[in-house]
Amino acid sequence: MMDSTCRVRRRIAATVCAVALVLPLTACEALTPGSATAVPGPTSVPSSTAVPDGDVTLRLQFADAPLMVDALIAAFEEDHPDIAVEPQYKSFSDYVQNLRLTMTSDTAPDIAQYAVGMTDLAADGHILDLAPYREAYGWDEAVPPVSLDQLTAGRTSEATGGRALFGVPAGLSMTGLYYNKDLARRAGIEAPPKTLAEFEEQLAAAKDAGLTPLGVGALDSGGLHLWAALLNQLMPTDEYWDWVNGRKGATMENPAALKASELMIEWGRKGYYDASANGTAQVDSTARFAKGDSVFLVNGNWAAGQLATVMGDDVGFFPMPGEEAGSPTVASGFSVSYAVSSRTEHAAAAGVFLDFLTSPEAGQIISDNGFLPPNPDAVKKPTGVLADIAEGHRRAVADDGITTFPDFAAPAMLDRLRSGVQKLIADRVTPADYLDSLQDEWEDHHGE
Amino acid sequence: MGNRPPVRDRRVRGRSRWRGYVYVLPAFAVYLTFAVLPALHTAYLSLFEWDGVTLGDWVGLGNYAEIFQDPVLRRSVFNALVLVVFFSFVPIVLGLLSTGLLARYRRPGMGAYRFLFMLPQVVPLVAVGVTWRWLYGDDGVVNQALRLVGLDGATRAWLGDFDAALVAVGLVGTWVLSGLCMMLFLSGVQKVDPSLYEAARIDGAGPVREFVAVTLPHLRGELAVAMTVTTVAALASFDIVYVTTNGGPGEQTTVPGLLVYRLAFSEGKVGLAAALAVVLGCLILAIVYLINRLSRSES
Repeated sequence: MMDSTCRVRRRIAATVCAVALVLPLTACEALTPGSATAVPGPTSVPSSTAVPDGDVTLRLQFADAPLMVDALIAAFEEDHPDIAVEPQYKSFSDYVQNLRLTMTSDTAPDIAQYAVGMTDLAADGHILDLAPYREAYGWDEAVPPVSLDQLTAGRTSEATGGRALFGVPAGLSMTGLYYNKDLARRAGIEAPPKTLAEFEEQLAAAKDAGLTPLGVGALDSGGLHLWAALLNQLMPTDEYWDWVNGRKGATMENPAALKASELMIEWGRKGYYDASANGTAQVDSTARFAKGDSVFLVNGNWAAGQLATVMGDDVGFFPMPGEEAGSPTVASGFSVSYAVSSRTEHAAAAGVFLDFLTSPEAGQIISDNGFLPPNPDAVKKPTGVLADIAEGHRRAVADDGITTFPDFAAPAMLDRLRSGVQKLIADRVTPADYLDSLQDEWEDHHGE
Repeated sequence: MGNRPPVRDRRVRGRSRWRGYVYVLPAFAVYLTFAVLPALHTAYLSLFEWDGVTLGDWVGLGNYAEIFQDPVLRRSVFNALVLVVFFSFVPIVLGLLSTGLLARYRRPGMGAYRFLFMLPQVVPLVAVGVTWRWLYGDDGVVNQALRLVGLDGATRAWLGDFDAALVAVGLVGTWVLSGLCMMLFLSGVQKVDPSLYEAARIDGAGPVREFVAVTLPHLRGELAVAMTVTTVAALASFDIVYVTTNGGPGEQTTVPGLLVYRLAFSEGKVGLAAALAVVLGCLILAIVYLINRLSRSES
C-alpha cells in the first residue's frame, strides 16, 4: 500500500520534472529551428573585375576530383601569388549531407562546390549571385552559355535583371552509352546507332548473338541515367527544364515520360539488361563491362579514363540517339562547379579564381584529368574514347542539349527515382504509378 | 510495520541515500546533456516543418499524421518487423541450439570456437555490410557455392532481387547476432550448478530432456537480454541496410532508421525525420517493455 503511493508520488515527481524541462523549451522563441541562421548582408557581387590588394586566403570546399582541384589551385597560385587557395576535401556523401549546415554556419567556406541543395541555399541568400561577374568577365565567351544556365536555378538576377548565376563550371560531365567494339562486331553491329529505333535493333541483335546487351548499374544512380537518357530523347527539352527548375504547372505525368518509362519495362521484359542490374552498383557495372560482360553500358564521361585504360581502343562512346536521324543531341550532364558563399569577405578574390577556371590553361588541366573542359576549343584534341565523348559533348552543346540530372528537381527526388527505376527494370510498377510518385515528390517540394 | 527504525537513524540513512546521488551526478549530467536533452529536442523539432536552414514552421502533430499516411513509411515499419525474425528469433534459436550442443561436455578448442562466433560482434557493421555485398554479388561466394552444387538456376544478384533482398539482408543480421546470443547463453549455463546436470543424468535424462529441464529454465534472464538487444538491433537497423542495399530494390529493404537519415540529411525534412525517430523510439520502448514484462511474469 505504502509502496504504491510511493511509486505514484515518484511518477508525479518525474512528470513534473519532465514538464519543467520541456516548458522553457517551448516558451523560448529563439529555439524555433532555423531562427539562428540569419541571412547575411550582400546577395550579389560587385560588377568590377579589380584584383584586390594584399594577401588573401580563400577556403575552397569540394567533393569531386581532388587531383584536378590540386592542379588547378597550383596553376592559379602561380598566376596570382597574392591569393592563396586552401582546399578542403570531403567525400561526396559527407559533402552533400552537410552542405546546408556548412553553408549556413559562421565558418562557411568562401568557395564551395555546387551540389543539389544549393538551389535552396541560393533562394535563401546564402549563395552570391554572380551575374555581374558574368558580364564583367565575359564568361559567356569562355563558357558555353548552356553550362552557365544550369547554374541559375531558374532565377533571374536582382543585380542585373538578367539571368542569375550561382556558380562557374570547371569540368563538365555527360552521360551516354559505351560499347565494346569487339563484342559489337560479333553481334553484327557496325557503327553507333543513328536513331533510337536502330539502337533497339542493335540491342536485339546482341541478345540474339547470345550476349548481354546492356550493362546497367541500377543499385545506385546508374538506372536513373538510362531513364533520363530515354526521357531526353522523347520529352521536349524546355518542358524538362521547367520541371527540373520547379516552374509552376510543370509535370512529369506526360505522354513522353510515359513512353520512356514503358520502354524501360519493355527492355527488361526482352532481357536486354544484365540480369543482376538492380543488384549492381554503377562502379561494378563499369568494371564488368570492362571485362567484356556486356555489349553496351550506360554511364557518364567520368568512367572514360578507367575504361580507356583497361580497354584501350576497344571501347567507344555515343550519346543516346534521338527518335530521328536528324534529332538534336540531348544528354544529361552537369559540371564540377563552384559557388561563392554570401558570408565571404573576399568576393573579389573569389571572382578572380572563378575567372581562372574558365581560362584555356585551366581547361587543359581539366581535360587532362578526364573531365570535359567548359570550352573544348581551347585544349588539345583527345584521342580514343575520350575523343568520342568530346565529339558527343560538342554536338550536345551545339544543340543546347545538355540537361541536368532529374534528381535536381527536389532534394528527395533521387530516392524516388532510384527505387522507381529499379521497379521499372524489374517490371514491378506501372509507368503511370512511377511518374505519379515523382510528381507527388515534386509538388511536395515546389507546391505552396 | 512493527520494527520501524528510530527517527534519527532514518534521517542518517536518508542523507546517505542522497549522497549516493552525488556520486552519480557527473554521469547523470553527461547523460542529461548528450542523451536526454537531445531526445527532448528531437521531440520538439518533430513539431515543426523545417528544412534544416530556414525558419521552421510550427505544424503541431502534422508530421505525425503524415507518417501514418505515408505508404513508404508504413512499408519500412513492416520491413523492420520482418527483420526482427532474422535479427532476433533465428539467432536466439541458433544460440540455444549451439548452447545445447556445447554446454553438456567440455571439448577442446572451445575458446577458439567462441572467438570465431563472437567475431562478427567486433567487426564494424559497415565492414560487415561491405563484405556481404561482395558475398552476395553476381560472382560472389554465395552464387559460386550454389553453382558448385549444381543449383545454377537459384543464382541471382541477391541484393537486387525483389523477392530475395530482404531475406538476404536479414541473414546478414542473423550471422552477426547468432554469436552474441550463443555467448550470452553459454555464460548463463556456466552459472548452473553442475550437480543439477549430474542429478538429471542419474535420473536418466537424455540430452534433450536435460536441456529442457535444466538448461532452459536457468537461461530465462539471458533470454530476456538477448531478445531485448536483438529486437532493438532489428528495429533500429541502419548500417547493414545502408551499406548493402540502401533500401532497394524499390522499397523492399527500406527500414525506418534509413528513412530518418534520408529525411534529415538528404531530403531536408528535419521535422518529419524527428517525428519518425520519436515514433520509432516509442515503438522500441514499447516492445522492450513488453519483453521485460513477459520475462518477469514467467519467473
